[in-house]
Parts: sequence; structure tokens; C-alpha cells
Amino acid sequence: MLAGIAIPVSRAFAVAPLTVTWDGDDLHVAAPQIHFLAGKPLDRLHDGLSVVFLTQLTLTTDNFATALRRNAGRFVFSYDLWEEKFSVTKLGEGQRTVSHLTAAAAEAWCLDNIAISSTGLPQDRPFWLRFELRAAEPRDEPAVLGDSGLNLTRLIEIFSRRPRAQQPQWTVEAGPLRLADLKRLVGRAPRPS
Amino acid sequence: MRFARALSICVLSSGLLLAGSPDQNMNVNTRYTVESVELAGSAQVDISTGLRSDLKHLVGEKLNPALLDSLALRLRRELHVRAVTHRLVRGQTPQHVRVVFEVRGRPAKFELSAPKILYSSFGGFTGAAEATGVLGSQAFTAGVLSDGDDLLERYTGVLARYELRHLAGGRAGVRLDFESYHDQWDPATVTAASAPGAPAIYRARQNIEPLATFALTHAAAAALDLTLGASFETLQPQLPAAPAESANAMVATLRFHRRLETSGANQQEWDAGYSLRAATGFLGSDFAYTRHQGDAQYVYLWGRNQVLDNLTVGFIAGRAPLFERFMLGNSTLLRGWNRFELDPLGGSRMICNSVEYRYGLFDVFYDTGAIWDQGQTAVFRHALGVGIRQNGLYAALAFPVKEGHIEPVFMVGMNY
Repeated sequence: MLAGIAIPVSRAFAVAPLTVTWDGDDLHVAAPQIHFLAGKPLDRLHDGLSVVFLTQLTLTTDNFATALRRNAGRFVFSYDLWEEKFSVTKLGEGQRTVSHLTAAAAEAWCLDNIAISSTGLPQDRPFWLRFELRAAEPRDEPAVLGDSGLNLTRLIEIFSRRPRAQQPQWTVEAGPLRLADLKRLVGRAPRPS
Repeated sequence: MRFARALSICVLSSGLLLAGSPDQNMNVNTRYTVESVELAGSAQVDISTGLRSDLKHLVGEKLNPALLDSLALRLRRELHVRAVTHRLVRGQTPQHVRVVFEVRGRPAKFELSAPKILYSSFGGFTGAAEATGVLGSQAFTAGVLSDGDDLLERYTGVLARYELRHLAGGRAGVRLDFESYHDQWDPATVTAASAPGAPAIYRARQNIEPLATFALTHAAAAALDLTLGASFETLQPQLPAAPAESANAMVATLRFHRRLETSGANQQEWDAGYSLRAATGFLGSDFAYTRHQGDAQYVYLWGRNQVLDNLTVGFIAGRAPLFERFMLGNSTLLRGWNRFELDPLGGSRMICNSVEYRYGLFDVFYDTGAIWDQGQTAVFRHALGVGIRQNGLYAALAFPVKEGHIEPVFMVGMNY
């Protein structure tokens, strides 16, 4: 159970509350009301195909005028046709996979593995967070799955593109927040320096 | 057989993996075995035997999503459809999955093509242009051409063709050809044809040819096709007042193709064919003859090297019109020779062999052949040449091997 402070979303076009927690090094988000395993991506998964979800977490101290820091994530979901459970792989450094998950557990695992460093952010300085999640277009998958990874330029390009009609995207924002107002998250070890 | 199948899958799969497809390891269903492969969403399936074979080879192998993507792309290209997607469903056997390719969009297309373009310093310009519309399994073609290379005559005119492809599950097809040509003759042929008993020249000819083709074997590496039909050819004599003549014949062609690949990435191909045209009074023909033609080609490839051998033989029994008679000295048979110097009326017997070595763009060839009539002695002639080819474009210079004045023939063109 999360023991951090939950901050409700304060910005427009948020489709669900964004919960922000802090472990002393990184900021973590949770959006339990976002169920992205639905619609077309879920149809593809039920057809035995894999679906790539891209995430972007943006930290700003000026209400999104400029980005102080961005963190990108790539998650490959697939659905076991025989066991009827989901499998998720987080790509990138420290790649890891979990399987035998329900849809809700798979979504939660994905968000649990998204964080952004708070290094250099004064405890009393207001900041804002924007969380974006988008299902990659099948035609973009080879590019976003490449060994070279997803660089920031490519990520910004993808998220700056208007999503296609059937391409789900979620954007949730929170702020202004202050680290001083967030309790340390219990159960997560601080990131080694 | 099993080894070859495994090897082909391995090569294809490894190629795709090298291209980079993390999906191969991240889709949890890759641990399952493919039980069957189905094509859905299309009333008929218009795919090559090679692609059909690659689809079949998925069965029994572990699921490879990257390979499925590649095959879906090949299907889309071959079927000329908007999209081909694939999905998986549980198989009937535990731990197995069925692969279903879904074809979206009507397989319709319209294309313009130039089946043959050639300029020869001896025969002049030859060109053909065709427009083909494909609707499902039907194809309609209309074209114009002027050919001074194939026959003793230069024939210029129009053609139309209707094809119904992929009957009987892709093992048969039918077509109906219509051709109407105006003919022009070399003065040497006109002179020779004026001799008593010589075959007559004509000013125009029309042909209607219904054909049916049957695939006798359906293997990817070897194919045997049989074509049966009839040809109803009408010849308009030089004198307008003279009655037209018919050369109506039964037509049969048997073609065999086999490709062999060895483990060293070397490849061999065999291609052979035999065709028979038999004109009889039974079909209302004014000519009665049988025309036999056989050809065989062997190709050996290793790296950028290719060695080819082409053998063509022909035999006519009876009185055949000029368009049926054999000739040498064009862009493919005994290149470099003047066909009218060899025989202005062609021959009823012919044999020709060509050996060619290609390295990358470049090739050298040696042609030899003879053409003669019954009661004559075959005299073999020889020719040497060099050429360069790239993307269907071919330019060659051919030299007849003979005493006295030698005039090389320069040829350049596409698809000849």
C-alpha cells in the first residue's frame, strides 16, 4: 500500500487523479483510474499481438513553461492466449519482465515502474508533474523498440504528434506541489547516489 | 526435406532477428507452437508458390511475430491490397496457436508495363506496351506492339487478353488472347518467297487463342505446368483479292522449373519446356503441320557469379506458315548474325545453344546454332559477345564468328 501523500490533480484535461509520492530520490506517480488496457490495444492483445505503451513524465518548476526534466518509459504488453494473463516487459536499462498478471495488476506494475528524479529540486520549491501515456502505433513499434532505445528527441516528437482517432492517449497533471509537503514513501529504498 | 525446411525457417528468422525485433522475445505467446496458418477475408488467394510455401513452413515452429509481420507485408504486396493483418487464436491442441492472416481491401489494381523494349542495330526498334486491370482473380490486358525481333516479319498491331487466374484452388487458370497485326517483310524474304513452292508472305494476321493452364505440381522449389488450348490464326494474303488462309492448331505446352539451393548459399535452377502446335483440317486449317519446340535452361549461381546454359531445339513436319518457321539471329538466338543471311525464309529445323557467364553487371556469351530444312545439311554458326545488365536493362555487343567482313550487332533494351 502506498504510504506517501496523495495530491489530487489540479490541471485541465486530466482524465483521472494523479497521485504523486516521493521516496527521497525519485517522484512516483499512480493513476488508479486510468485503465489503458482497453479498446483497440486490448483487442490487439487478445489477438495474441504485443502492444507497446510509451510513457513520459515531465517535471517543471514554472507550470509547464519549460521542462526541468523528462523521463521516458517503454513497456511491451502481451496477453497469454492459453493462460489468459498479461505479461509486461519494461525496456531499457535494467530491463525486466513480469507475467501472469491480471489487467489491473499489469497496469499498476507499469505505473509502479515509472519515476523521475527529484535531484536538485529544493524541498520548498513548487513544481508540477505531467504524466503522459500513449499506445504506440504498430507501424512505429520497430522504431521505438530499437536497441538504441528511445531518445528524448524521438519521444518528444511522438508525444507532440496528435494521436490518431483510435490511438488512446492519457495526459494527467499535478501541481503545484512541494517536496516538503510529501512524506517519504515507505518501502522504497532511496536510490543509491 | 525436414532439414531444408528447418534451414529456410532458420535463415528467414535469423535475418529478421538481425534486423532487430525485440517483440520476438517479449510476446509471451512465442513459447507456443504454430498449429495452422489461415488466410481470411479474401474470396481467393492470389499468392506465389514461394510465399505459400513459407506460410506452410510456419506450422510446427515456435511462433515468431517478426516473421509474421514480414509475411503479412509480402502478402500485401503480392495481393495488391490495402492491408494484411494477422492475429492469433488458441489452437485445438494445448500450447498451440493458430495464425490467421486477414486481407483487407479489394485486390484490384491497374498497371502499365513494357514487356519488351529493344533497339538493335540490325533489327531496329521493338517495343510493347500493355495496360492491365486486375479485379480479384480476373485480369484484362490491352496492348500495342511493334516487333522486329521475334519472327522473320516485323509485326505491328494490338493485343487483348482476358485471364481468369487461380481456379481450382490456385492450380488452374484460363486465358483468351486476341491479336491483330500488320506485317512487313525484309526484301530478302519477299524475294525468296516468290520462288515456286516457297511459303507465302501475308500482309496481316489475326489470332484468337483460348488456353487453360494447370499446375501439375505445387511445390515451392519445383513446378510443373501444363497448358492446353487452341490457336485460330487467320492470314490475309498480300493480294487483297486472294482469300484468307487459316492456320488453326491445337496447342500444348509443358514447362518445368526447379530450384536447388545448397548449404553454401549456391543455387541452381533448371527450367525446361516443350511446346507442340498441331494444325489439322479438323480445326478448319488450310495448313497441316506439327511444330515441336523444346528448350532447357540451367543456371548456377554462387556469390556474384552466374553460369547459364540455354538450349533450344525445334522441328516442323508439314507445311507451316512463315510465322511458325524457326529463325536464328535475333536478340536471344545466335546473337550477332543476320537472320536473312542465314535463311530469309527461316527453317523447319533449328538448334541453338548459348553459354553465358555473368559476374555482377557484366556478362560474356558464346552462342552456336544451326537452322536448316529437311534434306539440307545443318551448318553450325558461332557468335561471341559481351554485355552489361542492371535492373532489367541490358546492353550487348555481339560478333558473328565468320570469315570476311564482320559487322557486330549492338542491342540495348529491357526485358528481352
